[in-house]
Amino acid sequence: MGNSNKYWKGIEELEPIATAPVNKGNEFSESLPMDEIFGDAEELSSNRRDFLKFFGFSVSAVALAACNKAPIKYAIPYINKPETVTPGVPLYYATSCGVYNEGFPIMAKVREGRPIKLDGNPNSPLSQGGLDATGQASILSLYDTNRIPNPVINGEEVADWTEVDNQVVAALKAGSAKGIHVVTRTVTSPIMKASIDAFIAAYPGAKHVVYDPISYSGITSANQADFGKAIVPNYHFDKAEVIVSFGADFLGTWISPVRFQADYSKGRVPSPENANMSKHYQIESLMSVTGTNADYRFPIQPSKQGLYLANLYNKVASKTGNASLSGIESHELAGNSLDRIATELVAAKGKSLVVCGSNNQADQQLANGINNMLGNYGSTIDMSKGYTISTYSESAFDAFVADVKGGRCGAAVFVNCNPVYSYHKGESLAGMLSGVSVISTSMTMDETTQKAGFICPDNHWLESWDVHQPMEGSITVSQPVIGKVFNTRAAAESLRAWAGEKLEAAENDQASHTWVVNYLTAQGLDVNQTIHDGLGAVSGGSSVSYAGDVSSAAADVAKRKPASGMEMVLYQKVGPKDGTWAMNPWCHELPDPVTKVVYDNYVTMSKSDAAANGFEQGDWLKVTCNGSTIEKLPLLIQPGQARGTVGVALGYGRKAVNNNDNDLTDLGQNAYPMVSVSGGRVNYHAGTVTLEKVDSGYEFAQTQTHNSIEGRDFMREATLDEYRDHNNVRNEHKPHIVSLWEEYDYSKGHHWGMAVDMNACTGCGSCIVSCSIENNVPVVGRKEVRRRREMHWIRVDRYYAFEVAEDATASVRVGPSHIDKDFHKGEFSTKENELAGLDKLSKEDNDYSHYDNVTVVHQPVMCQHCDHAPCETVCPVLATTHSSEGLNQMTYNRCIGTKYCGNNCPYKVRRFNWFRYNLNPNFDYHFNTELGRMVLNPDVTVRSRGVMEKCSFCVQNIQMAKLQAKRENRKLQDGEAHVACAKACPSNAIVFGDRNDPNSAIAKMFANERAYKMLEEIDTAPSVVYLTKIRNRKENSTEVHHS
Amino acid sequence: MSGTFYNNSTFVAIIILVIVLLLIAGLLYGVMRNVKAMLREKHPETTQPGWYERKIKPTTELWNPTIVTLVVIGGLVLVLGIWGYGYGMNEVGVQQGYSPDQPIAYDHSLHAGKMGIDCQYCHTTASLSKHASIPSLNTCMNCHKGAQLRDKYAGEVSPELKKLYAAVGFDPETSTYDPNLEKKPIKWVRIHNLPDLAYFNHSQHVAVGKVECQVCHGPIEEMEKVYQFSSLQMGWCVNCHRQRGIDVENNAYYEDVHKAMKARGEHYVTVAQNGGLECSKCHY
Repeated sequence: MGNSNKYWKGIEELEPIATAPVNKGNEFSESLPMDEIFGDAEELSSNRRDFLKFFGFSVSAVALAACNKAPIKYAIPYINKPETVTPGVPLYYATSCGVYNEGFPIMAKVREGRPIKLDGNPNSPLSQGGLDATGQASILSLYDTNRIPNPVINGEEVADWTEVDNQVVAALKAGSAKGIHVVTRTVTSPIMKASIDAFIAAYPGAKHVVYDPISYSGITSANQADFGKAIVPNYHFDKAEVIVSFGADFLGTWISPVRFQADYSKGRVPSPENANMSKHYQIESLMSVTGTNADYRFPIQPSKQGLYLANLYNKVASKTGNASLSGIESHELAGNSLDRIATELVAAKGKSLVVCGSNNQADQQLANGINNMLGNYGSTIDMSKGYTISTYSESAFDAFVADVKGGRCGAAVFVNCNPVYSYHKGESLAGMLSGVSVISTSMTMDETTQKAGFICPDNHWLESWDVHQPMEGSITVSQPVIGKVFNTRAAAESLRAWAGEKLEAAENDQASHTWVVNYLTAQGLDVNQTIHDGLGAVSGGSSVSYAGDVSSAAADVAKRKPASGMEMVLYQKVGPKDGTWAMNPWCHELPDPVTKVVYDNYVTMSKSDAAANGFEQGDWLKVTCNGSTIEKLPLLIQPGQARGTVGVALGYGRKAVNNNDNDLTDLGQNAYPMVSVSGGRVNYHAGTVTLEKVDSGYEFAQTQTHNSIEGRDFMREATLDEYRDHNNVRNEHKPHIVSLWEEYDYSKGHHWGMAVDMNACTGCGSCIVSCSIENNVPVVGRKEVRRRREMHWIRVDRYYAFEVAEDATASVRVGPSHIDKDFHKGEFSTKENELAGLDKLSKEDNDYSHYDNVTVVHQPVMCQHCDHAPCETVCPVLATTHSSEGLNQMTYNRCIGTKYCGNNCPYKVRRFNWFRYNLNPNFDYHFNTELGRMVLNPDVTVRSRGVMEKCSFCVQNIQMAKLQAKRENRKLQDGEAHVACAKACPSNAIVFGDRNDPNSAIAKMFANERAYKMLEEIDTAPSVVYLTKIRNRKENSTEVHHS
Repeated sequence: MSGTFYNNSTFVAIIILVIVLLLIAGLLYGVMRNVKAMLREKHPETTQPGWYERKIKPTTELWNPTIVTLVVIGGLVLVLGIWGYGYGMNEVGVQQGYSPDQPIAYDHSLHAGKMGIDCQYCHTTASLSKHASIPSLNTCMNCHKGAQLRDKYAGEVSPELKKLYAAVGFDPETSTYDPNLEKKPIKWVRIHNLPDLAYFNHSQHVAVGKVECQVCHGPIEEMEKVYQFSSLQMGWCVNCHRQRGIDVENNAYYEDVHKAMKARGEHYVTVAQNGGLECSKCHY
């Protein structure tokens, strides 16, 4: 064994925090609430009789209830069964997902006419089989009780669309004197485009305005300037050997994270044959999920980002013999790292990639210039076929707002966009709209729709026909996979109806279907095949060459002044993203990949700044930035965040109507008003922020600190140099195991196993949501998470370790030199009593600089299906047993809820049902509405109160795959039995299969030199292996490890 | 499955030890009895009445009310307990013999028995899916579009068939589907109900296991009105899994299992021996 880092899970571990969890060593945070049941101890004796009465009553009640006959159940067959439908057998349809503008290609699993699970379309380069958490969760928006069931006119529901159309047309005609505006998100659908054109033709003078909550106009305008083509480039992270990202969270939220994760992970997994991996530098202000995966990470203030880019430009220019920028103040990262980065970039010419997350045109032009000098265009960046997912231009939308303000807008049609919420001056826009006939096609009562006199609800995208063109030259097709749930109509149809077109039978989307077929035919595509595949190739795209001039960008950077005081950085979180789908409980029950907080947004800050201001974690702060104030937002101290910066997540503080009484009504604060505007473009580096403490004591619902590491060797990491020396680095010393058990022979049938490659895992959490949907895992809400009662069957553990200073010989140096290297690179992981010692510096010297540089590891943990399972031996009723295929089986109907198994599990993966989460008004999520329950997987039991549950390796899918093979009289193929987490994973970090099949992917993973089993030394014989994380770093700590 | 701490040899050793100890105990008891008998022979005046004569005999002679009450209560508890246990295990939730009235008095003895229609002609999905499924009404109409049974009802359409025609919107007079008629699905009463916690798949049994429908559903071709033939209790499932064999020879899925069996010289494997009694085969 040998574990070189001292891991810790959060600042709560290093210092006492009032709101931090207690009793970490215990499985459950609190004992049974006896006082609540029996009252105070003094009253206990007088309550004894009552207790006996109730006891007697309940005994007889049980006896009476048992006599009750089973309820009568009905079976209602089809009148005329569709040929393809077999009750009980799922159908899969390729369609595309409307969560993002891009029409993300997906496969929908449909049972008896209702979609129950979404996965990525494996044949599309955009997905490659993966789907992120938000996309997974979006299926619930189909079964959302907050959807508007009928068209609404001035607050009155009108079921008849003809009546609605007449009134809307009248309003449009009345408004046309002043002007009509159609506001949409970026239109990637040619169908929608044609509808808008038809609408404008019918109402001459009507204007089409694009509004996106998140702007990429910095990128598109930079490319317009440099290439004459306003697109988002097609980045190829798989082809890049050196990746430098300036604040671009490309694995979490930037542009196309699913595809970037898939590509990125391809270059990140070294093997003995090819012991290479890409090198990833992340230069950013906040700790993003991308930053946690970087090999080297440098925290910088956002105001200096342009300066660092310009300096990198100059260094690359001098190394490649290009002209340098003038007037740029020289600036370096710690340990001359910028110079080192430039050298490596130049060495990997044509195989490197510099990306920038800023929405500033000058920054983007500098990044373009660097990529051009490095010859990356044509190799790692494809400009000929770029993303068409963002045509948003702030100036065009600002002109619309000016029109509304100036009375030049008589009617505005908002097509599924919500500027009242996400426009930085949304409040004032809302006020101005009162004099305008507002028509909205939103599915739910969002902030903009609340201002609308006419609400003409759109279909959910799973109910619609559509075509999207996310990228030049390729299309994705949407087809309806369910009949309409409500009386809705596709927005594209509504626009044409108002343009005076007579639609074909609207209730079946016949019109949209015809348009899709016509479009595909016009493109020369095989209609049926394209709809079947969900994908198609069309003509489009053009080769362009770089003709940029960076001098104006350099001048822009040179005149920037550093912000005074603390600087605000607004960012998106992985679950709720820009906030459009924020009313989805799965997005919020998913812990943030970095902070592990559920349900809230908060102010993040470095430890040094918090200490300097006298703030503590959980303090309520009043935040003022750009003239906008949030009265109360809790403070979260984020290790790794740049000093002098403050981070607040966008996408919270929604004021949409919520019909359910749950935590989604009260979700953080809206930070969009704090967005700054520079050069006519929104800037998420929002400038100076002032903070004031108004209260203290907020307890975050945070999952990571729920249990203790107890000094065990669970996480192994090494550097690439070490890996090249020994492919089995950190796994050399296998523990000597003496077993008390007689070994069972698993060789005859299947022996299921799972492997998690921690080099591929980015920590994004897509697996968590996928698992929850597949296995009917309930949503428990913020309060229950605080009590450590989250129900997720798979969690992604995130650990921090302080960066230690490197040898003088090391070329890149990060981390302060004064940290005790010997202590932080010990042989074992952190013991409980060592935690206090980890952070000696801040206690003794009031120095918090070591918090600036931390490394982060992610580790997905699910039931390990131990062949010597500790849980099985302690169950008094044999509710958890082992199968001959190596599965640790959990039988809910046997379980009596002693929780012994959970106590005895060393991995803490068993979850106890403290409540009946269905039919329980205290948990008013989808389990409690007739409509929401449609999403449940009919093959998996909905667990009741008082039983344990845990990962089953998706045994329903294993059984289904085996049965299919038996029915078809053939052997089971590798990959047929699948698990939801592995299927969803965008980076293919999870592999599942039969270890007895020597040619299977899983057998190869088990034989991998990097494979180790968690807590192998206690001989639980897990069926899950983890693959040691390798970082592409220079330093070598093997000498410490061998000592 | 992971083996036990006591392997076979320890078990045998313990058994031998227990036998030896019992033998010694028996020997010692014999010796003591002999010694006592010898003592009584020598000194008859020292013998006293035993515990039974002193304590039990006088009380039973008087019929002590406490004892009687306790015995009666104990007896009641025992009887009720045994009855309750049996009731709980075999009656609660068990619907054996359940034969509800259906919205259409469909006669299986006529269709499956007299007409000899194959079960899967109507229950098409039994070999494909977890559900055998009640046939959709278009299946009924395959025959009953023509077969209106007017000869039996004096020229009138059979009253049961009238319900079918009403459901599908069919006008028997013109023998056409009338699109203006409202279609109304038929709400059959489900007879065979498993609790939600149990997963059962028809195709596993029908297509793979080649189990005849009658094994579980009884003489369905003789039932005028269907009733639940089997108890559908877990013990009933398990019994069959213990008895029935798997046809490993004729299914390529079992190729490896079959090879291993041949190597061991085995010819027969039951469902149970192949893991068919493991919890997560049916509960997940």
